[in-house]
Amino acid sequence: MSVSQNTTGLTRRTYERIVYAIVGTGIVGLFAGMLVGQQLAGTVVYLLGCWVGGSIAVLAPKLSDAPLQDERDNALHNRASGLTMGLTMMFGLTVIPALYVLDESGHVELTGTVWGAIWAASALFLLYGVSLGIVKHRR
Amino acid sequence: MKNDLPERRQEAGLSQSDLADAVGVTRQTINAIERDRYDPSLELAFALADHFDCRIEDVFAPDAD
Repeated sequence: MSVSQNTTGLTRRTYERIVYAIVGTGIVGLFAGMLVGQQLAGTVVYLLGCWVGGSIAVLAPKLSDAPLQDERDNALHNRASGLTMGLTMMFGLTVIPALYVLDESGHVELTGTVWGAIWAASALFLLYGVSLGIVKHRR
Repeated sequence: MKNDLPERRQEAGLSQSDLADAVGVTRQTINAIERDRYDPSLELAFALADHFDCRIEDVFAPDAD
């Protein structure tokens, strides 16, 4: 019985720490920039943190020989995504049509913020549908 | 699914990390399988059975309910 020890290279814990540290630095940089009046610099640090951290999060599992993510991570992610979409869809299907009718009938007046949220939710559903179609097509 | 992975692993003198490395998953996944908190894919179940040189049904059994 042979066991292939993977003692070299990136470990899962190191990978997670690196990603969290880079993204965390970006978030701290954004708030620090706001506090000292350097919003542009803070935003640049934040965007860099998100992009670099996000790139490592996506690419490292594909490039590393060590199992940084596996089928259980994917299963957990799928369940969390399904739960998020289910809750959002349930909320959207029950609340959005009611709000629309009440707004049209003059019972309530929806603010721009509410309309923005409705558009964002609609865009999310649309994106989910497109993503689902792509995934089905590629399987 | 119930399984006797802990017994087989300890009998072979392997840690969860050793077994995880051998079948290409994380230690957390082996731990979750052993605690009956995650049902492995068919591919992983085959890899585990192959590692212990037995059949899948020797390692895994469906829950009674």
